[in-house]
This record gives sequence, C-alpha cells and structure tokens, in this order.
Amino acid sequence: MNLSSRMIVVLTSVGVLSGALLSTVGLLTRERIEANRLKEIEEAIVSVVPGTTVNQKIYEEKDFTVYATRGEAGQITGYAIYTAGTGFQDKIVIMFGTDASLQKIFRLTILDQKETPGLGAKITDEEAFLQFWENKDCSQPLTLRKPPVSREELGASEINAITGATISSEAVLNTVNASLAKLRSLIQEGTINIEGNNGQ
Amino acid sequence: MELLAIFISAILINNFVLHYFLGICPFLGVSKKLDSAISMGLAVTFVMTITAVVSWIINHWVLIPYKLEYLQIVSFILVIASLVQLVEMFIRKTSPPLYQALGIYLPLITTNCAIMGLALLAALKNYNFMETVVFGVGSGLGFTLAIVLMAGIRERLDLADVPEPLKGAGIALIVAGIMALGFFGFSGMIK
Amino acid sequence: MASKSLRQEFFKGVWDENPIFRQLLGMCPTLAVTNAVINGLAMGLATAFVLIFSSIVVAAIKKLIPSQVRIASYIVVIATFVTMADRFLAAFFPPISKSLGPYVPLIVVNCIILGRQEAFSSKNSVGRAFIDALGMSTGFIIALLILSSIREILGSGTWLGHQVLGSWFEPWIIMILPPGAFLTLGILLGLIMVIDRKLQRSV
Repeated sequence: MNLSSRMIVVLTSVGVLSGALLSTVGLLTRERIEANRLKEIEEAIVSVVPGTTVNQKIYEEKDFTVYATRGEAGQITGYAIYTAGTGFQDKIVIMFGTDASLQKIFRLTILDQKETPGLGAKITDEEAFLQFWENKDCSQPLTLRKPPVSREELGASEINAITGATISSEAVLNTVNASLAKLRSLIQEGTINIEGNNGQ
Repeated sequence: MELLAIFISAILINNFVLHYFLGICPFLGVSKKLDSAISMGLAVTFVMTITAVVSWIINHWVLIPYKLEYLQIVSFILVIASLVQLVEMFIRKTSPPLYQALGIYLPLITTNCAIMGLALLAALKNYNFMETVVFGVGSGLGFTLAIVLMAGIRERLDLADVPEPLKGAGIALIVAGIMALGFFGFSGMIK
Repeated sequence: MASKSLRQEFFKGVWDENPIFRQLLGMCPTLAVTNAVINGLAMGLATAFVLIFSSIVVAAIKKLIPSQVRIASYIVVIATFVTMADRFLAAFFPPISKSLGPYVPLIVVNCIILGRQEAFSSKNSVGRAFIDALGMSTGFIIALLILSSIREILGSGTWLGHQVLGSWFEPWIIMILPPGAFLTLGILLGLIMVIDRKLQRSV
C-alpha cells in the first residue's frame, strides 16, 4: 500500500471508529440529558406557582417562555414565566409565577447567573433577596426600595435592593417588569390565552 | 442595540483572556514584544471572525437539524484545524506582506483554546448568525486589547527589579491579575 | 529514556515536569475552574480520563499511523474521549456540568494532552504511556487541588462546601473572581521556584 492510500485508510478508520463510538455514547446519554433539562424547568415551575401539577408551554421565543399551569383538579393556577435579562456580568435567567389575572407574583427563582459572588450573586439568596418577591402586587410596575427596609415596611409592589448590588437587583426587577408588560400585550392581542388552546 | 451590547461585552466585560481565561498560552508566550503582540492579536481576530461564521453554519445547518449535537466537539476542532491551514495557504498565495506579518502565528492558533472557546461559547449562548459574527469580532478585538496592553507593560517590566523567583511567568500572571482587576471596573456598564 | 524506571516515569509528572507549575501548560482550565474545590476536582478527573485513555490508544496504534496524519488522528482520538467525558457529566452530574460550562469541551485543546501524545505516547509502549499519563494527571490534579483549595478557603471561607473558617472571617471575594486566579497562580509559581531552589541547594 502506498503512503497516500494508507493515510486515507488510517484517517477514515479513525473517523469511522470515533463516529461509531460517539453515536453510541450520544444515544445512550441523550434521553438522560434531555430529562435533566426538563426536570430543572419542571421543578422551577412547581416552585414558583404553588399547587401546580400540570403545565403547558403556551408561548416561546428567545429568552421568553410562558407556561400555563394547572392544579390537581385541573383548575387554572396561573402562569410561570421563563425569562432572561442582562445583569452586572452576564445573563440572568429567571423563572417567576403569577396568578391568572397577572395581578400578583407568587414567587421568583433564579435559574442561572454569573454575578459577583458575595455581592450580585445574592440575588439567589432567599434571605437577602428572593423572600421580598413572595406574593407581590404586580398590577403596576414593581419598584426598587433602596436602602432596604424590613419586610413589613415594604410597599405592596416594592422590592428591596441588595446592598452593594443595586445593578443586579435592578436587572432582575427590570426583566420581570418587561416580561409582564410583554405578556399582557400578548394576551391583549389574543396571541395567547390562559386556556392554552391558542390554535393547537 | 443587542448587537452593540454583545460587542462591548466581548471586548471589555467578558474579555476572553481576562474573564474566560481563553488564549492564555499566546497571551503569556507572545506578549514580550509589542509589534509581535499586535500581529498575534490581529491574526486571532481574523481567524475568530471566520470561525464564528463557519461554526455557526455547521452547528445550525448540520448538527442541530440532524440531531448530531454529540459530534460538536469533534467537528468544531477538525474544522478549526483545517480552517487555519486554509487561511494560511490563502494568505501565502494572495498577500505575501500579510503572510510575513501573520504567517508564523497562524499555526500556533490551531491549538489556541480561544478559537475553540469562541465556537463553543457562541453555541452555548445560543446566538443567532449576526450575534455570532459580532461576538467573534468583539472577542478577537478583546484578545488583541489584552495582549497589546500586556506587551506594553512587559516591555517596561524588563527594566524593573523583579524578585528572582517571580521572573518570567510568575510576574506576568500577577500583572494579568491586576489587569483583570482593572477590567472588572467595566462590569455593569451595559444595562 | 528507556533507562528511567517506571517509578521515575510516574513522579516526573508530579514534580519535575508538573504540567502546570513547570511546563505552564493547560492554563485555561487551571485558572477558570479553580474557584471551588469541587470544580477543580471534577475538571482534574475529566482531564485525567481523557489523557490516560488517549495515551493508551495512541501508544497502541502508533505504528499504524503515517506521521503526516498523526496530529489529525490524535485530535480525533482526544476529541472522542472529551465528548464521552462531557456527555457523561451532563447526564449524571448536571450541576457540575453546568458550572464547568464550556471548559469540559475545551479539554480538547488542552495543550497537556496533545503535548503528551506527541512527546511521549507516540514513541513509547502502552505500559509506559499509561504510567506517564497517570503521573501527568496526578500532577495536574494536585496542582488544581492546591489552587482551588487556596481560592475557595480564602474566597468563600469553605473547603469542598464545608465551612472551615469561622464567621469572623470576611471572605476575600477577589479570590473567587478572575483576578484572584491570576494572582494566586503567579504567587504560587514564585513559591515553587523558591522551594525548588532550596531543594537543589540541599542536595
């Protein structure tokens, strides 16, 4: 066998072997990886809209997904909104739940963030930030309270800023306000409705 | 304005060298002289831009439609390696002066993790085509900025009285640390 | 080279030719993932897996590969094992896979791995290549552990997630940020030089 045909044979067989090995590995792990991804979303939805057992994706675009959620008896429990905005360093990925009339935020959770550890990263902290999002009135845009006050003193649609991390707190707040406005206009246009039967 | 944000963020905030730690080898290896640092930076920017385009096409036209995401690493690395070869041949044929300036740096780029990192990060961040291109150019310029600044500092450092054990890589890393601290000041400028 | 005992072959990777502290190879993952011990450890093990298996395969097939296409073949072998490591982490350890992000796929361009194939596995027997890869991996993991321990203890007051410094300690946040990585490694390199010089003087 001359050199160039040997080169082709060797490279092809290395390629074929690696391809065969990888497609096996790919097939074996695909389901599990997909399941991991879904489980994360699923758990987040259940945590932000209390009493949810079933959810249905009713709208999706880049960095903005809306799920309609239902309880055990099939009753509508509200919306879970997956959204993302630019924080101090990089994207902050958020999931929050509202009631069906979009008047109240039940809870908010942070799915992904790369804010400064010890400062901006406190947006994932229950004590420092997340607790202030529980059961907030969102019939009007939420506002930031700075410097932070105790939970009792906080207004119905006010959120405490994290000391030393106003930009990160603001980023979450603005993202939530923008997503709510967007969802409202989508509902008004009739693109989505809570029944989840938008043309499907 | 999304594109502008990606561009500025790639240069200043999420700088490839100082934030993602990609391309450290050339950053430390080719930053002793200012002019070679500039050439290296430009060569990387050039290859990064092309890589951004090609990797996006492979990812969105081949890997995702045929559900072959698990071949991402293999295909990206092979494409980058052959791309660098092609670029080298092309430049040698068409523009000898450019080849003189960038030639010796091109082979070094194949194993430069910044290029592979660019392809992977653009795929991970789920950028669309234009965003990927802007991200590629911005990241290349960010790399150039970092390596040129580093070379400028190191040329002066030659004259400084550095403690013996820290000479070479040690002091270079400490300088990079202080630069990274400076660049940290850019965080939060995009809202 | 044949005169070296297997023991020497192993220990050269740990100290004399330590990939990070001596050869300054594989700096990207070293700096990027050492903000917590768990990340450093996962990265070290993933790299070790790729390095060891690639070295065995390359040493086993070295005679079949024409030298003109050796680099391309090595890259395919390495990329195959990297993909396996990446998929494995994503399937069974999703949180670790998420926090390491693009740095697991980036093992493919880690200069240590291609460097060892070119410099060692392609010229030595399977057994020697295995010992060499084992030594280099050990050296790499030790370096990652040292770096990530320093950064996690000073930066978060914890080690592997366990509180080790009391509440009196105000964490040095800079240590877990990018600048801390550069500063710690720079100072460590200086320290290694000092220790090495002491050792040589005492011999």
